[in-house]
Amino acid sequence: MTAKSDIKSGVSRRNFLKTSAAAAVGAGLGSGVITGFPTIWAQNPITLRQFGTGVSNLNAIAEKCKEDLGITIQMTATDSDAAAQRAVTQPDSYDIADVEYWILKKVFPAGVIQPMDISRLKHYDQIVPLFKTGKLLPDSVIAQGTAPHTVGFVEGPDSRDFAKGETEWFTMVPTIYNADTLGIRPDLVGREISSWADIMDPAFKGKSAIINVPSIGIMDAAMIMEAMGLITYGDKGNMTTEEIDATVDFLIKAKQDGQFRAFWKSFDESVNLMSSGEVVIQSMWSPAVAAVRSKGTACTYQPLKEGYRSWGGGMGLAAHLSGAQLDAAYEYINWYTSGWVGGYLNRQGYYSANMETAKQHMTPDEWGFWIEGKPAQGDILAPDGTVMEKAGAVRDGGSFEERMGKVACWNSVMDEDRYMVRRWNEFIAA
Amino acid sequence: MEREKRSPGFYLLAGFFGLFVLFLYGPLSAVFILSFQGPQGGLTFPLNGVSLRWFQNLFETQAVGDFGASFGRSFALGLMVMAGTVLVSLLAGLAFRRRFVGATPLFYLTVASLVVPSIIVSLGIGVLFQQIGWRPNWFSSGFGAHLTWTLPFGVLIMFAVFNRFSPSYEEAARDLGASNWQTFRHVVLPMIAPSLIGVGLFGFSLSYDEFARTLMTSGSANTLPLEIYGMTTNVTTPVLYALGTVTTLFSFLVILLTLSTILWINRRRVRA
Amino acid sequence: MNALLARATPYLQATPLLLILGFFLAVPILLLLVVSFWDYDFAGIYPDFLTLNYAEALGSWVTWRIYANTLKYAVIVWAITALVGFWVAYFLAFHVRTATMQMVLFLICTVPFLTSNIIRMISWIPVLGRNGLINSGLTGAGIIEQPIEWLLYSDFAVVLAMVHLYTLFMVTPIFNAMMRIDKSLVEAARDAGAKDWQVIWNVVLPLAKPGIAIGTIFVVTLVMADFSTVQVMSGGQSASVALMMRNQMSLLQYPAAAANAIVLLVLVLLMVAGMLRIVDIRKEL
Repeated sequence: MTAKSDIKSGVSRRNFLKTSAAAAVGAGLGSGVITGFPTIWAQNPITLRQFGTGVSNLNAIAEKCKEDLGITIQMTATDSDAAAQRAVTQPDSYDIADVEYWILKKVFPAGVIQPMDISRLKHYDQIVPLFKTGKLLPDSVIAQGTAPHTVGFVEGPDSRDFAKGETEWFTMVPTIYNADTLGIRPDLVGREISSWADIMDPAFKGKSAIINVPSIGIMDAAMIMEAMGLITYGDKGNMTTEEIDATVDFLIKAKQDGQFRAFWKSFDESVNLMSSGEVVIQSMWSPAVAAVRSKGTACTYQPLKEGYRSWGGGMGLAAHLSGAQLDAAYEYINWYTSGWVGGYLNRQGYYSANMETAKQHMTPDEWGFWIEGKPAQGDILAPDGTVMEKAGAVRDGGSFEERMGKVACWNSVMDEDRYMVRRWNEFIAA
Repeated sequence: MEREKRSPGFYLLAGFFGLFVLFLYGPLSAVFILSFQGPQGGLTFPLNGVSLRWFQNLFETQAVGDFGASFGRSFALGLMVMAGTVLVSLLAGLAFRRRFVGATPLFYLTVASLVVPSIIVSLGIGVLFQQIGWRPNWFSSGFGAHLTWTLPFGVLIMFAVFNRFSPSYEEAARDLGASNWQTFRHVVLPMIAPSLIGVGLFGFSLSYDEFARTLMTSGSANTLPLEIYGMTTNVTTPVLYALGTVTTLFSFLVILLTLSTILWINRRRVRA
Repeated sequence: MNALLARATPYLQATPLLLILGFFLAVPILLLLVVSFWDYDFAGIYPDFLTLNYAEALGSWVTWRIYANTLKYAVIVWAITALVGFWVAYFLAFHVRTATMQMVLFLICTVPFLTSNIIRMISWIPVLGRNGLINSGLTGAGIIEQPIEWLLYSDFAVVLAMVHLYTLFMVTPIFNAMMRIDKSLVEAARDAGAKDWQVIWNVVLPLAKPGIAIGTIFVVTLVMADFSTVQVMSGGQSASVALMMRNQMSLLQYPAAAANAIVLLVLVLLMVAGMLRIVDIRKEL
């Protein structure tokens, strides 16, 4: 990999030394033992401004990065709407954009993010194939919607059009992703939940919720409708206007019948809805389920036969980056993907895109519990040291491959999104 | 001196006022109680034990976001906006005491500033800065955005003040040979000082609390309301409520200080 | 020279206000006006001169319905805050006898407004929720058997939170207007044999009108532009104009959002202009 990068981009000797040092570290030393570049960056202090949602803009990552690389990462957390808007309208206000893939479909063509040279990405080869080919395993079916690989590559350094397949130019380096499903309160639902259709059960009238972000909420609805056998979409992630009409009409009817208690928009809203008992069944993120559970309330992340609705986020380089700042940004990304962060994210219940490197930063028990779906040998601890899961617990939904292998669709931006938002506003107004 | 007897209307209204205060403070009391949640507690009832954990947590590093830095920015911005609002409103208030060409359009522009929805201003300023190639920042674009919100209030208050201000004081001062500046400095300013403090306080609290107008204008760093909102995209804990409790107590303190300053100024004026 | 300076003074004094509002308000709005005529699709925004955005915004029943809904909130919140504001201000101005006590009580009303709006809003959730303070109190006392559902995530919750957030903007100007009323007028009316309600109706209310008008402008514009309260308190079940714009902005459909913004702006300005015709707040403040 390192040798390849030398040939392709002709990196300077200094750069080469740095990358190989990082490779040595990434190759398996425990966390915290880093040598080499702190001195380099300490002589030439560099600050990178990163923004994105609170999901991955974690202070712990910035602290660790400062410690390991000497690069100061200024993290700013926003909600996902604001993140997308800042990305497009204020490209000067950040160096690293941490956005989701579906919105990247709109953000990237705005020209605010520069493609990455994969030869400078040390851990490119270890990125899970989901982000390169759309297939987790060679025999997986590619999920519908804005799958990350469809917006993952461009043809060249100046291109703004997404490439059909893998190229040398990466739009974003994938960092964090997960599969969402229905979260339930097993103590309150009182029945087996096995399908997205179950959320429409009259028994849960006034006690269910879906997400209130137009592009994502409509995917929830699509999963539900298809599960109920009301419609078969050509592509859930790219509906025709007729399909949008059918879906929104269905939502409006359900809303008017009082099926939904609320629509959640942020992480904590979904947690509060569940833990306060306002809602007993709703579309939910895996870590949100964990957060409800950590408050002593029973909550299950329920695998469903139709599969998951998935999302992914990544880090893109701001178009204005150049010179030492660009080098530092690559360095940061290489560090990010070298394992420590991956382990940290995995332990939060998300998935890292570099599983191999992340594994080296997790205990075998943690790896077994979070990734392989094995029963925990000892207590599973949260980053702050509190017990998240007791020994013997098994993760809902099973292993990484079971979860991410059953993705039915990705969060999407549709060609008809102009029409979709109009109809979505109609749904909210109904 | 014996006081006039209270009418039944008084007790009725006092009761109403009491209910109103209860209404204002009711939900805050929920915040107050919940800020003492146990370490495992969530953002909603029931209480899961009682602890000071979240107050302590307020001063620790959060998983996401940074209270200290964003509070610092909000506080500094609040002070800047406060100073800007007081100064500009005072000048505008003085200007409007006389006739000048364009007074009416300027007045309507001020009113328009009040009624333009916040997110429109926010988006507009954000885009404008990007277009001219200036970097949006909380102390530049954010500052301007906040001023579009506080200035109308400040100017309207100054109208109210100067409408009641009898020019005879100034005339008297001038008759005694005071220059314009002296008249302003020694006659006008002391009389309107309490109102200026009011304008300043209003400006500060409007700015300190402003969310929508900062959303697209704060550049790379968040102010406190944005930080709080950003934090809700991750696991949130009762630390938000602890923050609410602390801010309210802090506000009480500020109010008390202001009150005593105003009283002090009044007393001094009476003595003089 | 001095005369020139005296004539120039008001212009100099007005300049900062003009510059700030010109740059931070007028220019951005012009920019939005331009953008509102642009074209867009899922991939980008294109400079153009289209009236399609307006046609879509104005030609759809959704827009009208959302405007109607927003206006409904505005009217209800206005009515409640005006009523509450009037009596609170009346109590403070006419029943509280010492100036110090007046100020203390008034400041007590303002303290909650210094706490973050977001926190104040979400603080209603544990109070109103299905297992919240009110419901658990009522069920605990045996008054109701099932928790009341419509306390939270309903129009009721939205209005309640808005009243909570915005009353001060009504109380302050009314209080201010009432403080200007010459107490001897009230005394005179009483001496002439007017009953309390007659005094209020014929003396206090007419003289407090400017205050009510200003408060109305504040409250109506705040409600018309609100998105977060509607979003959070209705649990995403209700729409407001600003929320509709935000949904468009979240998918970077700026031309559509800009067109909506201009429509909203025109509407609110017309409403305010109407109010200003009734009272000249510049004179009567």
